[in-house]
Amino acid sequence: MIAPVRPKPRYAFWGGITLALVAMTAWSAKGVGVDFIGMVCNIGGGKRLLVESFPPDFGFLPRLFKPFLETLQIALIGSVIGGILAIPVAVLAARPVSPNGLVWFLDRNFMNVMRTLPDLFWAMLFATAVGFGPLAGALALTVFTVAVISKLFSESIEAIDTNLPEAICAAGGNWIEMVRFGALPQVWPQYASYLMYAFELNVRSSMVLGLVGAGGLGMILESQRSNFEYERVSLIILVVLVAVLAIEQLSGAIRRRLA
Amino acid sequence: MNAVVRPQAPRGGLATWATLAIAGLVLWSLWSIDASPERLLKLPEQMVRVLGFFWPADWGYGQTRALPAVLESIQIAWIGTLIGAALSISLAILGARTLFPRISRLVKFISSAIRSVPEILLALYLVPIVGLGPFAGALAIGIHSVGMLSKLGAEVIESIDMGTFEAVEAAGGSRLQAIRFAVLPQVLPEIMAQWLFRFELNLRASAILGVVGAGGVGGMLLTALRYRQFDKAAAVLLITILAVLLIDMASSAIRRRLVNS
Repeated sequence: MIAPVRPKPRYAFWGGITLALVAMTAWSAKGVGVDFIGMVCNIGGGKRLLVESFPPDFGFLPRLFKPFLETLQIALIGSVIGGILAIPVAVLAARPVSPNGLVWFLDRNFMNVMRTLPDLFWAMLFATAVGFGPLAGALALTVFTVAVISKLFSESIEAIDTNLPEAICAAGGNWIEMVRFGALPQVWPQYASYLMYAFELNVRSSMVLGLVGAGGLGMILESQRSNFEYERVSLIILVVLVAVLAIEQLSGAIRRRLA
Repeated sequence: MNAVVRPQAPRGGLATWATLAIAGLVLWSLWSIDASPERLLKLPEQMVRVLGFFWPADWGYGQTRALPAVLESIQIAWIGTLIGAALSISLAILGARTLFPRISRLVKFISSAIRSVPEILLALYLVPIVGLGPFAGALAIGIHSVGMLSKLGAEVIESIDMGTFEAVEAAGGSRLQAIRFAVLPQVLPEIMAQWLFRFELNLRASAILGVVGAGGVGGMLLTALRYRQFDKAAAVLLITILAVLLIDMASSAIRRRLVNS
């Protein structure tokens, strides 16, 4: 019997990687001040907090209804308008259908830079520009949705069958017709599923946008937290948890049917 | 040949109604958050005016204060990802339908309940427990990552070829040995790529945790904007963008090599 030759272990390669990872971890642990012992000693403070917040104050529930609705509205506006704006951004950044190299390069970098900023940063910026309130949140989620969807969607467009767009060009179609009838119909199902995914993300983040003054449930959360009304804080967290779980199940079911 | 027979255009049906319903809901939402056309038309002008304040950026502040804060955010994200990765691996295995059909539903439900609480709400609770500072942020990110990573990991495990697993069991190996020698070698590259991707996402999450006092760069941006110190805010933003771009590029290069090798 001939046993296959055992591959030679690459000690230098794996050693280098391990060293780099350990160094990164040591540097981070020092900066963060990882302190599990201190945490265990401090657990008493945590216990008091949990006891205070334990029976959630369900009497507060009716007052959550309006901000909760506002949160869903912000998420919906952000997903739909951002989803529409993401289409041109994604098309111009997809290599097979992008009109020329320069546009492709600029749009691709625009997309990458936009993706670096988290949702709450956009919310802070828009709250500064248009004032505190739900409009700032809706604008922030619109930009955030463009950032999330355009990247995924342009990757899907890059994977399409390019014969169709070529055929349309060969038959004398212009660029718009090529994109509209050759490229996009192939990726609409993926687009719909990305839209659902973005809506899930947006519901989750619209719950906390209020912490920086951008409307919705987070604003109530912030005011109850600064008054140390922890029974109410825990109720709000419970509501967020249930809402996010429900939306996730719903969108999961819709996405399974789309696929 | 007789007259050309054209195929009939398919009817819209459900899709058309769904689009109309969504459009109606969006208009209603816009109306109720008070986004009137006048207000929306004034937007571009407002944005340009505010952006004008951001230049020139205060680079001195950027170097002495913002850069250390961004580095701290990176450290928080790294520790958080490690905590998440370490705790999620066993949950991912237990949650895989193909390995543990009995308990997989329960494990998956637990992990989706964990991940539906946003990091920043976890941090709200952890800050009083472990004290103001980056460690609270790292724990919050770690807990949230457990939920995310164990779901993705379970999906990877469910997608693998079970032939080798059965072969190890048929040769008399225990279930643990089958997992060690048949499952892990197949899934580790992809799971490690997901850890790296999670690190990229956690970096963005850790950047905002400062808003509730859990370390990192978020609190700095919030104060700068509240006190209208736009030059400082600009420095914070630019340094964050640069740092995240660099890490994204490095991490996606490593991920490509992990998945292809």
